[in-house]
Amino acid sequence: MLKLRSSGLSCGVCAKFQIPIPRCFMNSITTSSIDVKPKVPLYLRPPSFSASLSELTKWHKWAKNLASSVGSSFINLDNGPDSTLLRRELNWLLQDLIELQHRSVILSKLESGNNENPDVSVALRAPLEEMYCVWRQRIEKRRPFQYVVGCEHWRDLVLSVQEGVLIPRPETEVIIDLVEGVALNNAPELAQGFWADLGTGSGAIAIATARALATHAHGDACGRVIATDLSPVAVAVATSNVQRYGLQDVVEVRKGSWFEPLKDVQGKLAGVLSNPPYIPSGDISGLQAEVGQHEPILALDGGISGTNDLLHLIDGVASMLKPGGFFAFETNGEKQCKFLVEYIENEKPSSFRDMNIASDFAGIQRFVMGFRR
Amino acid sequence: MSYFIFKRSSNGSFCISQYIRTKTRALSSLHPLDNFLDSNQNSKVFDPGCSSILHNSLKKPFGSFSLLPSSSLLGSQNQHSLRLNRKGWIWAREFGSQAAIEPRTSDGLTVDGIASSKWTILEESESDWKSHAAAIAQSIQVIKRRLQWKKLMVRLDLLSAELNKPDLWNDPVHAGKISREHGSLMGKMKEVKAFEQELLEHIDMIKLAREEDDTELESESMKALLRMRRDSKDKELEALLAGEHDSCSCYIEVQAGAGGTESMDWAAMVMQMYKTWAQRRGYGVTVVDEMPGEIAGIKRATIKVDGEYAFGYAKAEVGVHRLVRISPFDSGKRRHTSFAAVAVIPILGDGSSRVQINESDLRIERFRAGGAGGQHVNTTESAVRIVHIPTGVTATCQNERSQHQNKASAMAVLQSRLDQLEMARQAQMNSQHTQSLTEISWGNQIRTYVLHPYRLVKDLRTNYEVSDPDSVLEGDLDSFILSYLSASLDKGEGEQ
Repeated sequence: MLKLRSSGLSCGVCAKFQIPIPRCFMNSITTSSIDVKPKVPLYLRPPSFSASLSELTKWHKWAKNLASSVGSSFINLDNGPDSTLLRRELNWLLQDLIELQHRSVILSKLESGNNENPDVSVALRAPLEEMYCVWRQRIEKRRPFQYVVGCEHWRDLVLSVQEGVLIPRPETEVIIDLVEGVALNNAPELAQGFWADLGTGSGAIAIATARALATHAHGDACGRVIATDLSPVAVAVATSNVQRYGLQDVVEVRKGSWFEPLKDVQGKLAGVLSNPPYIPSGDISGLQAEVGQHEPILALDGGISGTNDLLHLIDGVASMLKPGGFFAFETNGEKQCKFLVEYIENEKPSSFRDMNIASDFAGIQRFVMGFRR
Repeated sequence: MSYFIFKRSSNGSFCISQYIRTKTRALSSLHPLDNFLDSNQNSKVFDPGCSSILHNSLKKPFGSFSLLPSSSLLGSQNQHSLRLNRKGWIWAREFGSQAAIEPRTSDGLTVDGIASSKWTILEESESDWKSHAAAIAQSIQVIKRRLQWKKLMVRLDLLSAELNKPDLWNDPVHAGKISREHGSLMGKMKEVKAFEQELLEHIDMIKLAREEDDTELESESMKALLRMRRDSKDKELEALLAGEHDSCSCYIEVQAGAGGTESMDWAAMVMQMYKTWAQRRGYGVTVVDEMPGEIAGIKRATIKVDGEYAFGYAKAEVGVHRLVRISPFDSGKRRHTSFAAVAVIPILGDGSSRVQINESDLRIERFRAGGAGGQHVNTTESAVRIVHIPTGVTATCQNERSQHQNKASAMAVLQSRLDQLEMARQAQMNSQHTQSLTEISWGNQIRTYVLHPYRLVKDLRTNYEVSDPDSVLEGDLDSFILSYLSASLDKGEGEQ
C-alpha cells in the first residue's frame, strides 16, 4: 500500500487519480461494514474529457515505447506479460478510452501514424493525465490490466472488476460449458432449480449460469442463482454486475462464508458451482506480480496443500444438493482433481454418481464434478 | 414512391408517365400508355386512336405494384414482370432462352446495331440522343461481356432442363441449389434485358416526340437517356463483381516470405495497406489473428473485412507481393527484395451450402499456454487454436478480449477455411475458387513495389503501374483492383 501511494506521488500531476486505489485495498483488508461503492469501468464512463489528436498521439507513442521496453523481461522474471501482449492491451485501453462514435477513425489514424488534423479534438472517457498514470502503473507496478480499465471480458460478458475482487480467469469460462453440456443437457429439469455460486467474486459464474439457465429453461419456470462471498467488495461488485445485466430478479448476492448464507435452501439446490481459493500457501510468494501483489489473497490462498476450501465445499455439498443435483469445482490441476475424486470415493462412496474430471483448453485437468445420488 | 404524370398528347390520347423512385437511385421508366386511366386508376378504356408504334412498349405490371387489372386488353406477348433487384425496382421483360428474339425499336434498331453504328459519342453535357444511346449500347456490350453472357445462356438452358426433370426434388439439397442458381442467373439476365429494352423504348419515344413536335416529351426522354448513361457506368462496375461469392465479406491473410525481419516488416506493410484500403471503402476491419515478428513486422496475420463485395474486390489481391528497397534493418544499407503472400477467403452467407463441422472432429487448445494456469496466472492472453482433426486445418484467434470470443472467431475462420477447401475440391465446376495461403506458390508474383533505385508499383498481370508507391501502400488500391478485374473478365472478348 505504501509503495502504491508513493508511486502515486511520483506521478506528480496525477497523484489525485491514485487515491481511489489504496482505498479499495483498505476495504478488502478491513472488511468494514461501510457500503462499498463499486467503481465504474472506463468504457462505461461518460466521454466528458478531451484531448487533441496530437496529444493523444504523443501519449500513444509514449505508452507503446514503454510497453516495448519490457521485451521479455517479465516473462523471464515470473512468466508475466511480454511486449506484444502489453501492446495489445494498449489497443484495448484505447478502445475503452475513446468515445464510440469516432473510435475506429481515431484508432486507424493512431495505428497508421497519420498526422493530418493534429488539432482535432478527441472525446475521452478519462483525462489523458490519468492515462499516463495508469499505464505507468500497468508497466512499472504490474497493476493488472483489468483493474486499469475496470473490467474483464469473460465469455460473452463484460464484468466490472476492481482491486479486492479476483479477476475471472479464461479457464473458468469452461465451467459454464460444463453446466450446459454436462448438467443441463443430461438433466434438463435442473434448469428450473436453485443454483449457488460460492465465492462469486465479480459474479462471473453466477451471471453466466443465470443466462445459461434462461436459454435452457422451457416455459416460464426459469432457475435462479444465489451468489455468496465473504468480501464486501466482492458483494458490491457482483451486485452491480448483476444489475448491469438486468438479472436482479434471477441472481441474488448474499454476504457470508461458503454455505453459511444458504441455510434456507439446504437440500434443495439443483447445482453448486465454485472457483474457491486453491493455490498452496507456499506458492503465493512466487506468484506473477499481477496476481501476488494486486489480487486479493483471500481469493487465492487455499492453505498448505491448497485444498482447505475445496474439502470444505465437498464435505458440505452433499447436504446442500437435492437428489440429482450437479456440482462442479475448479481446482489447481491434476493433482488436486485426483485427490478430490479419491477423497469422495473413499469418504462419501454413496453420496455421488458420475464423478468426473474435466480439462481446461490448455489440457490441464481443472474441474471436478458429479451428481448427487 | 410513385406518381403519375397525365399528359394530353396532340392526337388526343393520354400519355401517362410513371416514375418509380427509390432512395438510392431513380430507376424510372417512361410508360407511355395509349389508353385512358380513369380516376380510380383501376379500370381502363382502350383508346382506339392510339398510335400503333406504341404497342411495343405497353406494359402490364403485376404483383405488389399492380396498377392495371389483369384482364388487360393488351397482348400477352408483351407481358412484363416486376422484380426487385439490389438497387431498386425495375421493370423487366419476361423472357426465356427459347424466346431469345432480339428486341428492336419500331424502325428495327437493335442494341448491337446501335453499338456498331459508329455514332459519335459526345460529352454527357451535349444533349444528343444518338450520343447517349451509343454510349449506353457500348456499356451494355461491356456488361454482357463481363457477365460472360453466352456462357450464362448455356448455363441457364442447362439449369432449366434440370429444373424440368420430374424427379428433381427427390434430392432437395441439389434441387435447392439448382433452383437458387437458376433464380440468380435469371435475375442477372433480366436486369440487363430490361436495361436494353428501356434504351430502345426511349429511342422510340424521342422519335415519336419529334414526329409530333412534343418538346416536353422529348426533353423527358432525353433526361431519361442521360440518366441511363450514368447508370450504365455503375452497372459496368457491378458486372465486374457478378461472381457467385463476390458480394460476401472475407478474410484477408498475409504471410511473410523468407528473409527475416525485412520480409516480416514488408508483410506488416502489406497488411496495413489492406486495412486502410478496407477502411476507406467503409468496410469493417477486425484483426483476428496476428503472429508478430521478433523484432518488427508480422510473420502472419488474418483480418476480417466486413461489407458488401469485400470478397469481390479483395480476391484480385491473391498472390505474392514483392518489395524492393534499401532495408532499414540492414546496417550495411543494402538493397533487399522481400515477399509477402496474400490469400483471401470468402465468408459464405447463410444461404450458401456450408461444410458441416462435427464437434467431435475438433480439438480446441489454449494457444501459447504454459505454467499452472488458473488462479496462478493473470493474463489478458486467451488465444484459442482449433484443429479440425480430419483435414488438419487449423484456425487461431487471440485478438478478442475473452477466450469465449476468441473461440467463436476462430470457429468462424475455421468454417470459412473448410468452405474454401470444399470450393477448391469443386474447382473444376466452379471457377470462383481463390487459393489459400498453403496453395500459393512463392513463384506466383502478382505485383512488385519498388522503392529504390526508382519508385514504381507495377501489376505483373495487367502491366498497370503507378509511380507513387506511398499512395498505394496507404491503401489506394482500387485502380489496381479494377484494372485486374476488367482485364480478367474482358479478355474473353472474342466470345461475344
